Amino acid sequence: MAASSARSGLTGRSMTEPATIYAAVEVRDLTRTFGARKALDRVSFDLPTGAFLSVFGPNGAGKTTLVKVLTTLTAPSKGTARVSGFDVVADAVELRSRIGLISHNPLLYPDLSAEENLAFFADMYGVADAGTRVRELLVAVELDHRRLDLVRTFSRGMLQRLSIARALLHGPEVLFLDEPYSGLDPHAVEILDSLIEQIRANHTFVMISHDLNKGLALCSHALILAKGKVVLSAPRTEIDENQFAATYRATVGMGVA
Amino acid sequence: MASEARGLGVRQFKAILRKDIVMELRTKEMITSMGIYALLTMVIYQVALSQSGTAFDPRNIAAGLLWLAFVFTSMLGLNRSLVHEKDQGCLEALLLSPVDRPVIFFSKAVGNLVFLLIVQVLTIPVFAFLFLQEGSYAGEWWMIPLALLAGSVGISGVGTLLATMSVNTKGKDFVLAVLFVPLMYPLLLAAVSATSAAVLGGDGSVQQFWTGMGMMAGFDAIMLLASFALYEFIVGA
Ligand SMILES: Nc1ncnc2c1ncn2[C@@H]1O[C@H](COP(=O)(O)OP(=O)(O)O)[C@@H](O)[C@H]1O
Ligand SMILES: [Mg+2]
Repeated sequence: MAASSARSGLTGRSMTEPATIYAAVEVRDLTRTFGARKALDRVSFDLPTGAFLSVFGPNGAGKTTLVKVLTTLTAPSKGTARVSGFDVVADAVELRSRIGLISHNPLLYPDLSAEENLAFFADMYGVADAGTRVRELLVAVELDHRRLDLVRTFSRGMLQRLSIARALLHGPEVLFLDEPYSGLDPHAVEILDSLIEQIRANHTFVMISHDLNKGLALCSHALILAKGKVVLSAPRTEIDENQFAATYRATVGMGVA
Repeated sequence: MASEARGLGVRQFKAILRKDIVMELRTKEMITSMGIYALLTMVIYQVALSQSGTAFDPRNIAAGLLWLAFVFTSMLGLNRSLVHEKDQGCLEALLLSPVDRPVIFFSKAVGNLVFLLIVQVLTIPVFAFLFLQEGSYAGEWWMIPLALLAGSVGISGVGTLLATMSVNTKGKDFVLAVLFVPLMYPLLLAAVSATSAAVLGGDGSVQQFWTGMGMMAGFDAIMLLASFALYEFIVGA
């Protein structure tokens, strides 16, 4: 297959892929307990392919746990979740090659260079024509000039950009972002904005955000979690901003699960 | 499909092993800490044996002393092999990728084996210099590397397994230390017996050597099979 020629820029996938028929994310009565604590409590929602979901909620609401379950890093205690049509437990291996995660933790090796990091993950994902793909992404996230430098020497913004490149290497269908803006300076925020803008059209997004304005501006769907429960889940078009903000603020007082 | 998946598995195995070796060559974290620890153990042996007198022949306990040093060195060093993944959150990145969990185990275990063998190659000449008089070596020389390899495969495998368990457990080092010795007990007996036969030579030493080697091979095989079956569960805990 002429995999590399069919790739388009950042996405790594053909623009002409057939439309998919399944929902990108399907969550049913999802519960995850840690001992007696319910980090997720019967969470249910659907997200169509191509949507952008912003997840809000106070600290300890279960947002990261939700993303960990959806990315196969944590097993559900009860209920089911499917991403891109694949069950997070039964089809975990197939699912893993179709998703990408950008978290506040860069998930990169400090003692490897930027290029070595990407080459390593290209091997892990079995990316074809890895050298070309790695260079393409380094250029796209504006780190080509630093490709030989150890990641240990990178600023927070540079780490975040490289971790975006890592998450996009294998052309994932669904991207998970866990507070991607936290700790970024204004310039890094601009670059992240423009990167998201560029890949927006052919990915489904699930983004955890603490910034109400930013999260609402980007999203097509919004979800508020508190104490592991869904407080609100709605398409962006049905959301009144003031009311949404009031609901969100009310949850912040509710404390952790 | 099956051969494609195997091809990817091999590519992932090489990538993890290469990455760990490159990073180790850069930081020298494990080799340095393990090497220094092993050498310090030699110093302590020297103190411990300083009052043993001229009638005492250290050759009789040489194999035991060597393996003791390697076991303690491994407990210290192998624990690092996954802690550095965990520290940076990189274990998540590994687990996120479509890699069969046993591939992670085998690449980590082989990396640890390489580091352990390097430490042994550095330690043994020092040990021989301090405790074995010239010409006192009576066995067959080729037995030594074989015994070291068979024992080290077991140590690296069990060490990698426990290191993975301990990154997911509080009181990390404690878990490793407590489980390591009981699990290693049969392997250590066989390793000391085979190595002793190699050092001392004499009647029946070849027989004793191969009995020890057989036991170590059995231990290694069981340990590898168990790891293959359990690793998914252990790493996901
Ligand atoms: N590995 C874990 N072990 C025990 N408790 C956990 C673990 N991960 C999360 N929790 C608990 O689950 C709850 C939800 O955590 P999390 O999903 O990280 O919240 P958020 O990302 O919304 O801040 C918290 O009370 C947290 O302490
Ligand atoms: Mg969180």
